[in-house]
Amino acid sequence: MAKDIVAGVLCCVGTFFFLLGTTGLLRMPDIFTRLHPSTKCDTLGACSIIIGLAVYSGWSWEMPKLVVIACFLLLSSATCGHAIGRSALRRDIGYWRRKGTEVEDGDGA
Amino acid sequence: MTGSSDVRKKALLACILFAFWVIFTATVALYDLVLGAICSAFVAALTVALLGRALDPRITPMVLLRLPVFMVRLVWEIIKANYDVAKIILNPRLPIDPRIVEYRTYLPDDLPRTVFSDSITLTPGTVTVELEGDVLNVHCLCPYHEEGLAGLEKLVAWLFGVKRDG
Repeated sequence: MAKDIVAGVLCCVGTFFFLLGTTGLLRMPDIFTRLHPSTKCDTLGACSIIIGLAVYSGWSWEMPKLVVIACFLLLSSATCGHAIGRSALRRDIGYWRRKGTEVEDGDGA
Repeated sequence: MTGSSDVRKKALLACILFAFWVIFTATVALYDLVLGAICSAFVAALTVALLGRALDPRITPMVLLRLPVFMVRLVWEIIKANYDVAKIILNPRLPIDPRIVEYRTYLPDDLPRTVFSDSITLTPGTVTVELEGDVLNVHCLCPYHEEGLAGLEKLVAWLFGVKRDG
């Protein structure tokens, strides 16, 4: 019973972070800032859902498998976020600056 | 590449392979364990014969032992930073001031540097967009996100047993 509640809460938290990630993706102004919510909140969301499933499955063989899946998810998410950011930088896509701060330094785009 | 260190590396690789075998076959019956042990030893021996090395020499048993602790601390950092980014996303004024900063790392090798830049990317608020030599270009959502980088660097240095020397 307690197991079901913990698993349910973790899955709800995961769904909430997915919602946040999507909201951020829609609200952010450019490709670099959009990387932050999409690769991160989604990672935490997916991880807490996976951990919730691991708790739900209890001490079974599904648990280590789910943990391994979570590790691969973290690895691929980081790699993919880096790949998108790097290709955007190499194509000289300028990045969004808050108004009034563009002149203070000339780095980046 | 002969002698006892070679055997030790083979044994370490075989142990890692065997751990994966046990997780994926999901049984501890004697037949499966023996079969897994034989396969792991065979694959480890074949790897050394074909590639000339078993594991990357920088992946030592110490690194493998520290890895779970590293993961737990990294996940804690991720959760803290996620809370921060969540607050920014839900703020109606969207208080972001993004910039790309250059960060010069003292980590000596491409493997620790890769782990470091992956950790940065996993931590919300910062994304490594370029890694060239010892200089990382990090895109920060807010200027204060840059302050977390040094702590992460220390964590990665601890994982690989790197001492800072200027």
